[in-house]
Amino acid sequence: MLIYSLLSGVLFGLYFSLIGLGLNLVFGVMRIVNLAHGDFLMLGAYCAFWMYTLFGVDPVYAIPVAFVLFALIGLPLYYALVPRLLAARDPEMLSIILFFGLSQVIEALSTIAFGTSEQSIPGSELGRSLRAFVGWLAGHDIESGPIEVFGQSFPSAWVMSAIASLVAVAFVYFYLYRTRTGYLTRAVMSRRDEALATGIDVHRISAIAFGIGIALASIGGVFAPFMLGSITPAMGVDATVTSFAVIVVGSLGSPLGTVLGGLVYGVSYMLVQTYLSSWANLLPYLLLIGILLVRPSGLLGKRVRLA
Amino acid sequence: MAPVTAAFAILPSVYSNHLLLFNFVVFLTLAQGVNVIYGFTGYLPFGYVGFFGAGAYGFSLLVMHLHAPPVLALGAAGVSAVALGLLLTPLLRLSGAYFSIANLAASLAVLHFISNPNLEPITRGPYGVSLSGVFNPDLAYSIAVAVMAFALIVVVYLRNSRFGLALQAVREDAVSAASAGVDVVRVRVYAWLISSVIAGFAGGVYAWYVSVFYPETVFGSDYSIFAIVFALFGGVSTIIGPIVGVVLLYGVYNFIGFSTPQYFQLIYGALIILLVLFLPQGLISFVKRRGVDVP
Amino acid sequence: MSPDAILRIDALTKLFFGFRALDSLSLHVARGEILGLVGPNGSGKTTCINVVSGLYAPEAGSVVFDGEEVAGLSTHKLVHRGINRTFQVPKPFMHLTARENVDVAIAYGRNPQGEVDAGALLASLNLDALASRPAAELNSAQQKMLDLARALATGPKLLLVDELAAGLNPAELDWVAAKLKDFARAGMSIIVVEHLMGFIEQVTDRVVVMNAGHEIFGGTLAEAVQDGKVVEVFLGGGHAG
Repeated sequence: MLIYSLLSGVLFGLYFSLIGLGLNLVFGVMRIVNLAHGDFLMLGAYCAFWMYTLFGVDPVYAIPVAFVLFALIGLPLYYALVPRLLAARDPEMLSIILFFGLSQVIEALSTIAFGTSEQSIPGSELGRSLRAFVGWLAGHDIESGPIEVFGQSFPSAWVMSAIASLVAVAFVYFYLYRTRTGYLTRAVMSRRDEALATGIDVHRISAIAFGIGIALASIGGVFAPFMLGSITPAMGVDATVTSFAVIVVGSLGSPLGTVLGGLVYGVSYMLVQTYLSSWANLLPYLLLIGILLVRPSGLLGKRVRLA
Repeated sequence: MAPVTAAFAILPSVYSNHLLLFNFVVFLTLAQGVNVIYGFTGYLPFGYVGFFGAGAYGFSLLVMHLHAPPVLALGAAGVSAVALGLLLTPLLRLSGAYFSIANLAASLAVLHFISNPNLEPITRGPYGVSLSGVFNPDLAYSIAVAVMAFALIVVVYLRNSRFGLALQAVREDAVSAASAGVDVVRVRVYAWLISSVIAGFAGGVYAWYVSVFYPETVFGSDYSIFAIVFALFGGVSTIIGPIVGVVLLYGVYNFIGFSTPQYFQLIYGALIILLVLFLPQGLISFVKRRGVDVP
Repeated sequence: MSPDAILRIDALTKLFFGFRALDSLSLHVARGEILGLVGPNGSGKTTCINVVSGLYAPEAGSVVFDGEEVAGLSTHKLVHRGINRTFQVPKPFMHLTARENVDVAIAYGRNPQGEVDAGALLASLNLDALASRPAAELNSAQQKMLDLARALATGPKLLLVDELAAGLNPAELDWVAAKLKDFARAGMSIIVVEHLMGFIEQVTDRVVVMNAGHEIFGGTLAEAVQDGKVVEVFLGGGHAG
């Protein structure tokens, strides 16, 4: 029981890291709060849903499609909203309201387009084509059953989403620490004003980070039907709050901090779920407030957030 | 201030949709409460509804368990909201978005706490509250107008007093405010508690007026966000701004809102985006830019 | 040392993440004295002012003001006891008018001589024409004067002035120097942090030279330039200004 909830906490924790990763990147680079983050996750979920429903496509293939699609949406969206916002008197506060407005627009358009009924994708569909390929190599069919991890069996979707999350974290880490644009992104993160003064094209760097941020959210959305339950246009708000809990528990700017935040969140969520289930839905909020007050810079952070 | 109060005192006799008028009064009150904390101190209270809900439940608990008369229970509404405000004062140490997010989380935590099935004997948990014994919408409406007048008086006071000036100084620069002799922590806490008691009274009178409600009703994030957007749309740190914002935007909401909510949501969201991008200081800034001093 | 010191700092130490910004600093200021605090960049002058004005709490040492230990008290309490300051980068309330900037300090500063008249105070610093303009519209020199007006409104016994002269033209410099001397003649003690040695020469009675968070010399500026350690610090550090 304990082992099971710890391991499932780790699997879910990695998924929560994936959800928080993009939000962290956007806040770290632009110091703005993307309150529509969860709505991009929701759109990613519908992307996978329609690809499956209309063409029978394995949701795994929705990952690259969603990533590219939303990265491309993110660039013009950045230029339409953010430069003007950053010129205002109190951009950090106003960003909350602005992106709340965007969140409302996305939710409304999705409701008009998709309706309000709950949608889902059968768990066995995720990775169907991968299984077929492995089965063809091995010469026999691979069942779509649960996967064994340390003697405990978990739905295969949990394991696959955990793996995808690790890949996404590795991608962001590689981007930030091994590419020239990533190096400039870190410069903007640490001192935006100085980056401006040294002639870095801050808007281009930020726009790319913004695109990657919402693209990561959409990938999280592809797994949402298997990790968060059925999907609706209204699911974005909860996803946004969860993402916040994760990045606040971790710390700003560091992808590793987000992983730590996700793991802490996932494991404590599963433990509370197992042993105190009726109070489990209080946890994200109390964890968030507690961490902010006790260790305002997050578990790995150095930055000060005090007034 | 007096004209607004008088208008809402008289309107029920000439206009039949009392619930709509009541909602206007509640939002006028909440928008001024947001004005106190955001307009004068710069803290954006994304979980402002927590005080509204605390007030509604403070009122209900006294009525349900002690059979208190409604006016006394309204006192309990104010006390509950202030108690929650005191509990949350550590959040004022946080800056910027951190405060807003923590405040939102706090309001959701209170919601999940109150609606927990284990607390059914006390709060009725998720099954909601019924106060049919004290149902008296006419009296509740009058008291709601009085609460709104109280909120307006508070903002008039802040606009014209040294205390209000000190709050604005803290909002502009806390270090310089301390150099002017202002006890920064104390004035922030006062403003926070004042804005919490305004929402608490509004929540209490709301519980009285509707008399049947669920936890999600009185802790719905829509209240916080509507109140913030209304206040901001008109223009904060003025008296008139939030009034203009509520009358215009909530008017639009009622015009198109009920039949097709998603179309309202779309227009409302787009309006918010345009507002932040093009009029971050609110409608009032149109007039202010022309050199007119707006109360 | 003068027994009549209004401020006596002893072995004051302030750490920033292990870096000793103030390293056992000791100095005193007499009543009605203008003390110049000079030294290379990073020697701890502004940190000293920040600790004395309550912006930072020191790790060790004592700050005795008017006979009482005040180290670690918060800024507004020190303001009420009679310590106030200006900022190197002026920090007025940008969206309040110049008059409102002063009004806050009049209302909350607890000036022992009673509340001053905002109009007269602004006029004395040549800000009367700008009284109803938002502080954000003032130029940098005017904002510095507004900082000074806010400090004066609280009736300080000790005024800490952090680079007030930078950016002023020669006529304004003379005018500010005369102002500071007037305040001192009326009994106010002043610490002046300044890079412009001409200005230090003009206004101070005595200077304390700092290096690496510690005082290395106390005396007149004329004596300081004869002192071997001082010369070494200024020439060796590369910051003569």
